[in-house]
Amino acid sequence: MRFDALVIGGGHAGAEAARALARGGMRTALLTMARDSVGRMSCNPAIGGLAKGNLVREIDALGGLMAEATDAAGIQFRILNRSRGPAVQGPRAQCDRDLYAAAVRNLLDAEPNLTILEGLASRLSSRADRITGIVLQDGTLIAARAVLVTTGTFLRGLMHSGEQTRAGGRFGEPAAESLSDSLRSLGLRLGRLKTGTPPRVLRSSADFSRMQPQPGDERPRPFSIDTDRISLPQVLCWLTHTAPQAHELIRANLHRAPMYSGRIVAAGPRYCPSIEDKVVRFAEKERHLVFVEPEGLDHPWLYLNGISTSLPPDVQEGVVRSIPGLENAEIARWGYAVEYDFVNPDQLDPTLAVRGVEGLWLAGQINGTSGYEEAAVQGLLAGINALEWLRGGEPLVLRRDQAYGAVLIDDLVTLGTEEPYRMFTSRAEHRLLLGCDSVYERLSPLAAKRGLLSEERRRRIEGRIERMGRAREALGSIAIVPDRESAAFFDALGVTVAAQSSIGKLLQRPEFAWEAFAEAALGCGRWAGEVGTAAALGEEELEGVLSALRYAGYVEKQEREAAALREADELRIPGEFRFERPGLSREIVEKLNALRPRTLGQASRIRGMTPAGISILRMHLRSV
Amino acid sequence: MSGRERDTIVAPATPLGRGALAIVRIDGPEAVRIVEDLAGVELEERRARVVRLRDGEELLDEAVAVRWSAPRSYTGNDLVEVTLHGSPALVERLMGAARARGARPAEAGEFTERAVLNGRIDLVQAEAIGDLIASRTALQAKLALANLGGELSRAAGAIREIVLEVLSRLEAALDFAEEDYEFITREEGEALLAGAEGEIASLERTFARGRATTAGITAVIVGRPNAGKSTLLNFLCGSERAIVTPIPGTTRDLLRETVEIGGLPVTLVDTAGLRSTGDAVEQIGIARARAAAAGGEIVLCLVDAVEGMGESEREVLEARPDAIVVYTKADLAEVPEGVLAISVPERRGLDELLARLDAKVREELAVPEGTAAVVNERQRGAVAGAREGVAAAREALRAGGGEEVVAAELRSAARALGALAGEITTDEVLARIFSKFCIGK
Repeated sequence: MRFDALVIGGGHAGAEAARALARGGMRTALLTMARDSVGRMSCNPAIGGLAKGNLVREIDALGGLMAEATDAAGIQFRILNRSRGPAVQGPRAQCDRDLYAAAVRNLLDAEPNLTILEGLASRLSSRADRITGIVLQDGTLIAARAVLVTTGTFLRGLMHSGEQTRAGGRFGEPAAESLSDSLRSLGLRLGRLKTGTPPRVLRSSADFSRMQPQPGDERPRPFSIDTDRISLPQVLCWLTHTAPQAHELIRANLHRAPMYSGRIVAAGPRYCPSIEDKVVRFAEKERHLVFVEPEGLDHPWLYLNGISTSLPPDVQEGVVRSIPGLENAEIARWGYAVEYDFVNPDQLDPTLAVRGVEGLWLAGQINGTSGYEEAAVQGLLAGINALEWLRGGEPLVLRRDQAYGAVLIDDLVTLGTEEPYRMFTSRAEHRLLLGCDSVYERLSPLAAKRGLLSEERRRRIEGRIERMGRAREALGSIAIVPDRESAAFFDALGVTVAAQSSIGKLLQRPEFAWEAFAEAALGCGRWAGEVGTAAALGEEELEGVLSALRYAGYVEKQEREAAALREADELRIPGEFRFERPGLSREIVEKLNALRPRTLGQASRIRGMTPAGISILRMHLRSV
Repeated sequence: MSGRERDTIVAPATPLGRGALAIVRIDGPEAVRIVEDLAGVELEERRARVVRLRDGEELLDEAVAVRWSAPRSYTGNDLVEVTLHGSPALVERLMGAARARGARPAEAGEFTERAVLNGRIDLVQAEAIGDLIASRTALQAKLALANLGGELSRAAGAIREIVLEVLSRLEAALDFAEEDYEFITREEGEALLAGAEGEIASLERTFARGRATTAGITAVIVGRPNAGKSTLLNFLCGSERAIVTPIPGTTRDLLRETVEIGGLPVTLVDTAGLRSTGDAVEQIGIARARAAAAGGEIVLCLVDAVEGMGESEREVLEARPDAIVVYTKADLAEVPEGVLAISVPERRGLDELLARLDAKVREELAVPEGTAAVVNERQRGAVAGAREGVAAAREALRAGGGEEVVAAELRSAARALGALAGEITTDEVLARIFSKFCIGK
């Protein structure tokens, strides 16, 4: 068998990569252990959240599939941080896990250039630092010019539940044992990380009257620009909490928890601690929140978000049954921790290609990240870059002020990681530029130029950008002068206008409500033309326009800062550049040689780099 | 590859002139080779060695050479210090010999610039080295040493800690909205930032004292003609600097003389006596006197005890209520109760005047010993930028603005402080959050 590109692993990264390659006209194969595990949500049944929701929208703007699949499977949509500023709001959707996986498979099946193969990869086949394909466990060789490894937690996966340890990457699925050795033989450094998952209980055994219902938004907002409306029925989630007697029980059984008995040594995520971690590290807290999430519309299980654990089953049962509403819960599956190999991502270049090996890309959890969205955006960008490499095009490397996806990849390849890396809005220094409402303007022109968008999506995006631009211009042109007429107009809205103002400035004031203003303006004919342009927008488009006006001053400031940094990001370091320079410490030269930053900007973000070191590099680069 | 880092520089490290000894420094990759070539022996690291320097056949001097190897030298490069006998001619000949072997004359401050580029010292420390070299009094040297030791960077660092604390808790509120925590209330944030802003403002206020301490201050002596201004100046500087005559209007232009008072260099300015006059030259002198009085850190307003307080003195005091009023010629007339009165010929009241000046300098003008101060415009600019960021953040908190906007302002404040005390990273913010709160579904 011979393909242009081969993707190993059918998770969130693999699916995006395979589709991007196939859409770009490459004969693409996606290798998975089992066909029906493609697109599976291995942990919580939800997509999006703060910063993560932005990643999903970025994927949509770049022609990826995660947003589409979420819209097809979402059973509760909610915008987090709704009461806060638009730049820090994040859309999240609870999904039906079976419908989600089915949606991903349908989208992949629709690609004529894509073949899904079942099998277990045994090793990479290479010749003189060039990847030539892979060899399956049964010895079959699949030849491909580009190979993308997106194997998630499966590399030498080890599952822990109390005193029991079993090989496997996910419940009931075998681990990939020999691929790690194959990567290592290419000279790559591998490390070990850990993550965990909570127990699932039977929905029929829960008493919801003792929990607090958590409804979704009244009007579910789709993730993808292709979706006009969400058609699935919408459901409730529930909130409850752990109890002190459970914490006692955990303390008494700590010696049986693999993290504490020393059976697991790998680092787990700080932001997603297991319940035993929480009880130990925050002993003073009497209760911890438990989010009870349905796994699907008709799925018999509930997911207990907040109590991931690898304690033995008898302790897990005690903990679960101490939770209000779960006193009689029957456990459907025990929680477990999984330990797995990852490739330290500082060995990749910003296209996610392995440095020094031709034709090999890595994306997703194998790079030390956690989360579906983080994996998917890497998969998409690795797929696009592999595609460009195959067809001799320009690589796609986004800047930190353009996308969360760029922040993620730049952090990974520049800093490496020592714990599973998750996206947060605070990781983005230009956060005000990266709101969901501006993703299409920021990213879609880049994707359209490369032919990465479907005709339908491209058309929709162009329309949106055009409408929003017109409305922003119209509303931005409104100058409010504090004359008697204006005073009367705004007094009626409960807003005092003492000085010259603009819509953007008024939007920064909590007492100003756009709806009331628009109604009054249209009613009395004042600024009716300008406001009328905005009334023609969809709800999210309008929010985007208002947010742009509201942040205008700050956005300008951040753009200036970003432009100042861009100079460094555009100063390229030639491939043959030698970092051994007087004035640079041996330690930093070693790091520079190992990481081989592509630009001065990337070099400046390396840990341990000093301002003086950057001045020295700059001087030498100028004289190259 | 070119660049200034690569070449070797040479310069005298002691002032040119005759003295017992003179030191020449050579820095860069060729430094050791050049001196070993001149000395004809190998130099051991960090060992003083007596060497006979020869330029070809010709003996230059018997000297002491010390070799400092990269990176453990002042500049971080290979550096050799040669101590010659203190003759400008010898220094010139050694410089010439070094130049002939590939070194070039260093530019002003280039050794310290190399130390900064090599990460041996930070910018505040480099500035302190300049100030230390320029210091003329012990107090000036102490301030420079405090900043060289990192006092100022530490003070800025302590404020940055508060900014970072508020920032990380706001970030937690934004990034972990679903947790059942109130990470920080607006009131708490405002209170913490009010504290930070207060501290930044006091750091900013040290600039007046910092500049005064680094650059020295001016004390202007004003009064009517013949009030005894020149006599006082001569007494204070201990020499007959100014011409003293009984003729009113003897001093026309400004006369300056620097002395040490209260640990600082104080430039005393003698001025033309204040009166209305038709003499054009004297008029210009009087205008200069008023301008000097307006700009001097200290104003001594002299009142002739015989004549008493008049319109001219009242005008001065109106413009400068902080002026020190001194009655002169106390031996010739009665003075009002409780005023500072002196007589130079009788040596009356002079110790008291000196004590007043000393106290004024130490208590009001100089940087208190052992405290940090902002000493130049660059530092002041960074501190002002931080204050503006924190003030804007407070304002946004008060006015109900979004946390994301407050955070943007705080990041810019932290960056400004970072210009003095080291950079901020997002890792730092996240690490703070995770160390304090139990977070994660």
